[in-house]
Amino acid sequence: MTWINFPLYSGLVAVFFLIGLAVLGYSYKKPATFKIATILFAIGWGVLVLFVVQLWLELERPPMRTLGETRLWYALFLPVIGGLTYLRWRYKWFLAYSVLMALLFLGINYMNPETYSKTLMPALQSPWFVPHVLVYLLSYAVLAASSIVAIKGWYDHYKKQPIQSTLALADNLVYIGFAFLTLGLLFGALWAKEAWGHYWTWDPKEIWAFLTWMGYLIYIHYRHFHPQKNKQALTILALAFVVLLVCWFGVNYLPVAKTSVHTYTQY
Amino acid sequence: MTNNKKIPHQNLWDTPWGYAESFLIAFGLLITGFLMEASLGSQTAVSLIFPYNLILLVVYIAVLIALYKWASHHPVVRWLSKVPASITSIVFVTFLVMIMGIIPQIASDNYIVNLLGLNHITTNWAFLLIIGLFLTCLGLVSVKRITQFSTDNVGFILNHIGLFLALTAGILGSGDIQRVSIELKENVANYMATDQATGRPVELSFAMLLKDFKLEEYAPKLALIDNESGEILHNQGKNLYEISEGEKYSFEGFEIEVLSYLPMSSPFGSRYLRVNEQGSSPAALLKVTTTATDNSIENWISCGSFAQQYRSLKISDKYSLVMTIPEAKKFSSELEVLTRDGERYSTIIEVNKAHNHDLWEIYQLDYNKRMGKWSTTSVIELVRDPWLPAIYTGIFMMIFGAFYMFWVGNKITKKD
Repeated sequence: MTWINFPLYSGLVAVFFLIGLAVLGYSYKKPATFKIATILFAIGWGVLVLFVVQLWLELERPPMRTLGETRLWYALFLPVIGGLTYLRWRYKWFLAYSVLMALLFLGINYMNPETYSKTLMPALQSPWFVPHVLVYLLSYAVLAASSIVAIKGWYDHYKKQPIQSTLALADNLVYIGFAFLTLGLLFGALWAKEAWGHYWTWDPKEIWAFLTWMGYLIYIHYRHFHPQKNKQALTILALAFVVLLVCWFGVNYLPVAKTSVHTYTQY
Repeated sequence: MTNNKKIPHQNLWDTPWGYAESFLIAFGLLITGFLMEASLGSQTAVSLIFPYNLILLVVYIAVLIALYKWASHHPVVRWLSKVPASITSIVFVTFLVMIMGIIPQIASDNYIVNLLGLNHITTNWAFLLIIGLFLTCLGLVSVKRITQFSTDNVGFILNHIGLFLALTAGILGSGDIQRVSIELKENVANYMATDQATGRPVELSFAMLLKDFKLEEYAPKLALIDNESGEILHNQGKNLYEISEGEKYSFEGFEIEVLSYLPMSSPFGSRYLRVNEQGSSPAALLKVTTTATDNSIENWISCGSFAQQYRSLKISDKYSLVMTIPEAKKFSSELEVLTRDGERYSTIIEVNKAHNHDLWEIYQLDYNKRMGKWSTTSVIELVRDPWLPAIYTGIFMMIFGAFYMFWVGNKITKKD
């Protein structure tokens, strides 16, 4: 039963975010208005938090099982990442991007309503469930942000503008995202030992999670030792994100999918 | 990219070797591995067991240390401990794992897949050679950083040695892992398990007795099906409605109300009554109203059980309503462990809550699905992995390494 009024909440969030984005755009002309934009974002985000808290309480289980529920978490995390990045490096465009992405995820959920089933299979009932999924969601959100930065880097590269500072932002995001990615992978291994008796079973999702990890590992090593080769670094970053996307939802369409235990889209 | 920055017009194979040489060497190893696979087959790649794997590990680490100490100026050792070799070996490992991520690792009838062993990458010669290169690079840089220890190196050492330890212990120790399963029936002690890999019987050093098997279920769900195909029509089989008394749902022009829901019931004539006996099934009395005509009908549905028929409700020429079989919420076994010394104690295991006895981890695996919550059989899995402490040390080093990276990652990049 759809117990909770998602359209109402997401509508409210969308109104605050959209007005906030408009004000943010205006603030390029009149910097003083930027503060209003941040207040609007904060209120919209607060409404979203309220929704997630209510959903969690009502479902009596962490709302992290279905693809729709994970989209909800992205919508929640992205503005935070945008906000923190702004506080640290003052990129307004990046804040706008992260809020827009959050709106996109909410929009997808609005188009695909779920009934929010309460059932949670026994294998998922573990103290590892929440940390494992949360660090992965955070990591994917940060790494997705790093690829947007990479696109900005390509754009600047073709406009013959200096891109060192853009790449430095990408590096920071990749380091944070990679740290979370490592934690997600290792928490998953520790949990797998608890649930299935072995920490590593080469399940297709594990394989692609490992590949994602390797992709960003290449980027980090390459950047560390060849800090001047910007174009190659950007290419590696783009490829690594493609692998991440395969891991996130592409695995379900590969011939190996039928041997996977991570089929969270099935319910 | 192939030329070294400092010597712009270097010839191939002039030392120090760069990316071109690294790529050619790794590619050579890959081809060699596939040729070995095609000619020898992977049956030759036996997994090592104790103590040979431990001896190999000690010798391997000793060789790495010796190479660093006495041969660090040899072109090959220099190459192995530099970045081009590291990055190239990461790329090649990634390539082979990607094959694993695309081609199902199960029996295949494709000629190429079988010839090159692409459906069992983890035991493929090519994979072993490339992983060998990868670990050697990783091992050499680890030895180098340990000998030049400084506090700035902490993150580096945690990440690199953690990975080296987890991988070497995981790979070399895999031959010592024992996975067996045992089927327990209520009140019968059993100590004969079956090896999951070989199917051979294994005698355990202790016996187990199933005192009680318990299963909790979620409430069943309501589904709209097509009368002809029998397929669930609602939301492609996802997000079905949980049945609960008093709830109202709407499906394609029908209003449905759950008038009554009995978790354990039995049919008596045309209706269901609450009972408390083996094989009773959930049933619900539904009121279905066709929105367009305002006509309504009332009838029972049930998902049945091993002892009872299921019952659906036809609501039009096209559609019927059915109740899905309840999903398991939690299942657990109360076990009594009996040791050779005559000691006995009870414990409860469930999914995600294993029990440790005598180096064995004891897991709840399965039960008699047909009998569902009346199952008197529980399938238990026992796993023994003596290398686990080494692997966990590696994993926890990497976890601390990840925290370190999160904290100072920015500084690391800024240094260049």
